[in-house]
Amino acid sequence: MVTRLSHTSFYVLDQEKAYDFYVNKLGFKVHTDAKMDNGFRWLTVTAPDQPELEIVLMPTTENPMMDEDVRQAFKTLLEKGQMGGGVLHTPDCMATYEELKAKGVVFKSEPKEQFYGIECIVSDGCGNWFSMTQPKEM
Amino acid sequence: MPFDIDIYKRVVNAKMYIDDNLHEPIGLEQVSEKACFSPFHFHRLFTCIYRKTPHEYLTQVRIEAAKQMLRKGNDSVTHVCASVGFESLGSFSTLFKKKNGVSPQEYRVQQQERQKAVTEQPLKFIPHCLASHFGAE
Repeated sequence: MVTRLSHTSFYVLDQEKAYDFYVNKLGFKVHTDAKMDNGFRWLTVTAPDQPELEIVLMPTTENPMMDEDVRQAFKTLLEKGQMGGGVLHTPDCMATYEELKAKGVVFKSEPKEQFYGIECIVSDGCGNWFSMTQPKEM
Repeated sequence: MPFDIDIYKRVVNAKMYIDDNLHEPIGLEQVSEKACFSPFHFHRLFTCIYRKTPHEYLTQVRIEAAKQMLRKGNDSVTHVCASVGFESLGSFSTLFKKKNGVSPQEYRVQQQERQKAVTEQPLKFIPHCLASHFGAE
């Protein structure tokens, strides 16, 4: 029986830039930052209110898990900013938008009321975009 | 949106002021002045937007800053306490333990031991299915 999701991966163009976005700007916490002798870096972060779900910030460097064509395809999608990472929850979309904008984060759209809450689209600067949503209060 | 954009900007600026100055003595009057609101009005707006009072938020960011210092350095707990803006070592230690389940010193030992293990034995922290693809035995 599978009961929970413990890890998920976001492919990123640059792990250092990703660290800056997720940790310094979004306020995620570093869970594990381990480096293998061959340079591979296992970097996982967790959202402040969700410490049980590790997000792996996975580089698109050459590796045996994907052949060069697949790696290039990932890289191209990331360079075009086409990878949709998911939905980030915020208790106040407008306040978080204003704060992140002041910190230099790039948005693809401003906060707007939707039938499910207030939503804007944010870029992680490493190839992924997210819906940042304040769910409608029931 | 529940408030005007100008109100959001002012409250967010005040929140960022707290983030940048958490090591200084910060009072409600001072922060509300930054946002150009009366303390009463600011307290109400901040609490509505962030779901916690300015004081609760300040305490939270101070504890987080203390955790970071304890993880990364070897300053005494007394120094850490003062560096993140707490005036009393006793109340800092009590609050720290209440929030984290361990004392500041115990937290430092736990975290630094874990970081040492991550550095010295990274393969104990990387799933084998992945590490083996990257050349681990």
